[in-house]
Amino acid sequence: MQISSCSLSPAVKSRLTAAGFHFLSELRGLSPSHICAETGVSQQEALQVLQAVRGGASGGGASVGGASGGGGASVGPPPSLTALQLLQEEQSQRSIFSFCSQLDATLGGGLPVGKTTEICGAPGTGKTQLCLQLVVDVQVPVCFGGLGGQVVVVDTEGSFLLQRVQDIAGAVVKHCSLLVEDDEQRVAMTTFSVETILSNIFLVRCHDYVELLAELHLLPDFLSEHPRVRLLVIDSVAFPFRLHFDELSQRTRLLNGLAQQLIAMATSHNVAVVITNQMTTRLRGGQSQLVPALGESWGHAPTIRLLLQWAGTQRLATIFKSPGHPGATVQYQITSDGFRDADQSEQPPSKRPRTHTVQSATGQRDSNQSSAGQRDSNQSAAGQRDSNQSAAGQRDSNQSAAGQRDSNQSAAGQRDSNQSAAGQRECS
Amino acid sequence: MATRMLKRTCLSNDVCEQLKRHHIESCKDLLSLTPLEVMHVACLSYQKAIELLQSVSKAVAPPVTTALELCKKQACFSTSLPTLDKLLRGGLPCGTITEVTGPSGCGKTQICLMLSVLATMPKSEGGLDSGVIYIDTESAFSAVRLVEIAQSRFPDYFNCRERILNMAGRVLLCRDLTCQDVLNRLDTLEEDIISSGAGLIILDSVASVVRKEFDTTLPGNLMHRSDLLGHKASTLKYLAHQFNLPVVLTNQITTHLGGHGSEDAGFVTAALGNTWSHSVNTRLILQYVDSHQRQILIAKSPVAPFAVLNYTIEKQGICLDGDDSQETLYEGTDPGLQSIRVQTGFTYNLTQPM
Repeated sequence: MQISSCSLSPAVKSRLTAAGFHFLSELRGLSPSHICAETGVSQQEALQVLQAVRGGASGGGASVGGASGGGGASVGPPPSLTALQLLQEEQSQRSIFSFCSQLDATLGGGLPVGKTTEICGAPGTGKTQLCLQLVVDVQVPVCFGGLGGQVVVVDTEGSFLLQRVQDIAGAVVKHCSLLVEDDEQRVAMTTFSVETILSNIFLVRCHDYVELLAELHLLPDFLSEHPRVRLLVIDSVAFPFRLHFDELSQRTRLLNGLAQQLIAMATSHNVAVVITNQMTTRLRGGQSQLVPALGESWGHAPTIRLLLQWAGTQRLATIFKSPGHPGATVQYQITSDGFRDADQSEQPPSKRPRTHTVQSATGQRDSNQSSAGQRDSNQSAAGQRDSNQSAAGQRDSNQSAAGQRDSNQSAAGQRDSNQSAAGQRECS
Repeated sequence: MATRMLKRTCLSNDVCEQLKRHHIESCKDLLSLTPLEVMHVACLSYQKAIELLQSVSKAVAPPVTTALELCKKQACFSTSLPTLDKLLRGGLPCGTITEVTGPSGCGKTQICLMLSVLATMPKSEGGLDSGVIYIDTESAFSAVRLVEIAQSRFPDYFNCRERILNMAGRVLLCRDLTCQDVLNRLDTLEEDIISSGAGLIILDSVASVVRKEFDTTLPGNLMHRSDLLGHKASTLKYLAHQFNLPVVLTNQITTHLGGHGSEDAGFVTAALGNTWSHSVNTRLILQYVDSHQRQILIAKSPVAPFAVLNYTIEKQGICLDGDDSQETLYEGTDPGLQSIRVQTGFTYNLTQPM
């Protein structure tokens, strides 16, 4: 295509031809400042020229298409967004509430859609219970403030028990039926039943990591076929990856790939990804502490990390990694209806004294396995920022022994700073 | 499924040959690669490599079902203890692992024997009408006791010799005394399940073999031990799900030493550590109240709340005290650290009244 025949201002055209450019194809691949230097047009004009070149090319034919080899991928980088657009987008996104108002409040309305969230915790702290609760909650009709979505559950542990889902679903349906106010909600309730909730849960049972990886290759297509899916649960990602691995490097590589796929799915299909992780005991000399499994580099994968733990007879949920929320610890309980706020009769968490009860309770079970880790994170209830610091410390350290020592030290340091923080608060 | 050969998937011969040159023969090998590596070894474009990965994934990935479909085939194995059944929503859930842990002499083996009897009974009597695979690592299995429990618990059903023999004939006992034996057994268990028509797997006890073979004070042993345990757990989970049957394990107890200057000297809790606790789906803890009275605690369960049930061991096995409606919920705590009451003293009742 000749420059003279394209839609540019005459002054620019003449400058281009004066500099020796006669065809648009000659301009391809040049940077704007290069064009400025060679022809003397302003930067804005150079940009217009380049846009004209690209416009002509995409209208003109397939010459660019074959270059990078992959059919649709040739368009170039995905369009970038401004933070303003993203803000509007995120505000229009609803979150999945958990029925535990304290947890929702600290997460800013619930679990964000389009992000990956990891739930870690020792056995029996309620990881699966929280997952089941979310599986039901995401289906609450839109007119009740829910998402009215479907769910894909990848179960690697065999803990997905339908009796429990039915319980929780029954409780949620009952809760919604009590809230009915207008006709829209009445209509929605006619189709919102335990049976429909169950029919909207897609279940995959994976026995080993190969099946899990295979499933993840197929999930994007599945999500395209089922556009209503708003939540993907993997319970748990740790179990298949804690076995059968002779070399840790391969595991790390696979996990990194898996994390990439999850993040891509979360953003491109607009689903919330929830994964559960187990805790592992890290030994160092005589000391041992409980840390999330799968190594330190895995800690980068999830956007939000939530730690569930016991403190005596209380259950605590701690946000210890999140870009948008301060670290915080809230109490919760698991009732026959599901995941709920702790009893209101107890003191609100902000007023909770730096409890002697909690500390003495953990002190009692101060044992080889749990001690350090648990106590640290209990105390981080006081110093919210400190828990972020510890997350940073963990992030820096790698799997080597030296790294371990680092994170242990940061944990120790954290404990000190927390204690001083707690002491200050008691004084005041 | 993971070891499925690429040759037997829908791939063309050329691709298989090409991959074989790089020693990639099974689906596992291929799926462990990144798309970039697949492009390299298979000499394909990115788009084609993704297609290749997807078609192989299709051959490996388990099918997707909805919860509603699954609901119809969900089954439970009744323990014949009404209160426990009620709490566990019908009994031990099929397809999952249930662990029974407790101090010695508290009735772990009794529960296993009782469940064995139950599993062989016909469906009309609340059983599974199937065989039992009983892996005994402690040589604690007693056929005499099995028959005794059967006769005293269900006198109406086991009223003739034939039925008792039939029952005993359906309990397949495997005496595996070393860790490696148990692992080998588990690897070939699939055949036994099919040939004996088993509906229940019992492993009594998982702790004794690993605990006597691994000295945890030596470096590296602990890692090796948890590897073996993890392997066991995943095999059992696979079998449980594949054949939709309940798996019952017994575990021992260990003393946790209290450190860090706490006044508490230590407490007794379930053995084998935290990683293992993740692997079991349901954990029942047995503990002593006094020399006669014992308790079952539901310490971890996806369906049941924390609960305490009192029981005694009688001639007919485990007997729950109190009426059906009575159940005590307790404030739960970490099931990995739940302390267990053990027998503290021995009392002798020499003058036993009639």
